[in-house]
Amino acid sequence: MPLPFIQKVDLGARRMMPFGITLILMLFAMTPTYITGLSHITPMYAFMAVYFWSIYRPDLLGYGTVFAIGLLEDLLGGTPIGSTSLILLVCQRVVFSQQKFFNSRPFALIWAAFALLAGGAALIRWVCVGLAGASGFTPFGTMVAAYGMTIAVYPIVAWFMAKAQMKLLAQQ
Amino acid sequence: MRQTTGQISRFGTLKSLLQRFAFLSLIGITFALMLIGKADTVLVDRARTTVTDAVTPILRVMSEPAGVIANFINNIHELANIREENAELREANGRLLQWQAAAQRLESDNQSLRNLLALVPEPGATFVTARVVADTGGAFAQSIIITAGTQAGVRKGQVVMTGEGVVGRVMQAGLYSSRVLLITDINSRIPVLIGDAGNRAIMAGDNTLRPRLRYLGNRTAAAPGDKVVTSGDAEAFPPGLPIGQVARVDDGVVEVEPFVVRDKLQHVRVVDFGLEGILADQPAPPAKK
Repeated sequence: MPLPFIQKVDLGARRMMPFGITLILMLFAMTPTYITGLSHITPMYAFMAVYFWSIYRPDLLGYGTVFAIGLLEDLLGGTPIGSTSLILLVCQRVVFSQQKFFNSRPFALIWAAFALLAGGAALIRWVCVGLAGASGFTPFGTMVAAYGMTIAVYPIVAWFMAKAQMKLLAQQ
Repeated sequence: MRQTTGQISRFGTLKSLLQRFAFLSLIGITFALMLIGKADTVLVDRARTTVTDAVTPILRVMSEPAGVIANFINNIHELANIREENAELREANGRLLQWQAAAQRLESDNQSLRNLLALVPEPGATFVTARVVADTGGAFAQSIIITAGTQAGVRKGQVVMTGEGVVGRVMQAGLYSSRVLLITDINSRIPVLIGDAGNRAIMAGDNTLRPRLRYLGNRTAAAPGDKVVTSGDAEAFPPGLPIGQVARVDDGVVEVEPFVVRDKLQHVRVVDFGLEGILADQPAPPAKK
């Protein structure tokens, strides 16, 4: 029996949630925090979301969407366009190709894998921005500090996304 | 049954191939975009301006709660320190009254000297106040998005300030929003004067909290505590705008601590000094015959 219209809308909205959360986290990264010294080491929030949803709901966040989010982040952030899309796509590809590894693993292992992947991504982005930008490379230390923040914040962001997943996507 | 399983398997293979093709195509596009961004900055700037204009209303809403929390924390701090602050303000008030008297005397001197020289006054600066709704780029770029664009009179190249000093320059001006390149950004270069001696240098950002001074003729020309102000060279900034003070001089590396703290910015002034500047979109000069 076909679903009533309202249920179809509800289901569609729920399936859009991973995209919505990734988009909101990307914009959240740009929101001023008013905490001294934090702006130049902002964590890679969109990267966290792409990693999380690629593991737990790979069917709801595709390459095209991830590319678009990365492009939007670069256009808004003033960074060389394409650099964020590149690392988000690589992250997703790596997770998709290692689905067996990520399946039902404890959080500590997922976190460690995230640290490894985020390190590679931060390095790729540092090189890309350095080469594609007009004035050379950002100090390596700043990039490493932002990477450290990304690893430290991941459990909190992942906890919120896991809650959202259980609440809104559990019935599917 | 076997046929159905075979169909599913073929469908799975096809899907996997399509996914791989999509991934490789998109990776190719990202590299192409990076090259385009380097080659055609006008096109990319236009795209950035359009997207920023479209997303600014969302950023404005998202930045509200953080602003309210910051104000609340500030209020608590102020209440806790109200007695000490009051004593400091009384002291500062006494000092400022002396300065006021000195300023009035100098102003009347200045006026009579101007009359003596029949000096034509420079046009006054006008400004627009805007709210900071986004602090973008993280470790890789240092810019902010503000809620005033060309409709409010903002133009590319204009100087952005707070009461403390220079924040940066307008890099892109959309209809309702603008992007400001901060003085700490890796692409920022500002001609400056250092200390009372007025030694010239270029202050170059490097995406850290402290920009560095380059092309400083003499290594001993800067000492910690020296004030750094704009020099007015290249007409990018008018002369004498406060930027910061020399924080560290170490083996030829001179670091400047800006007066403006990036993370505390809530409102800024976009000032029109009537300068064209090196960032403004100017038509190319006619070729000489």
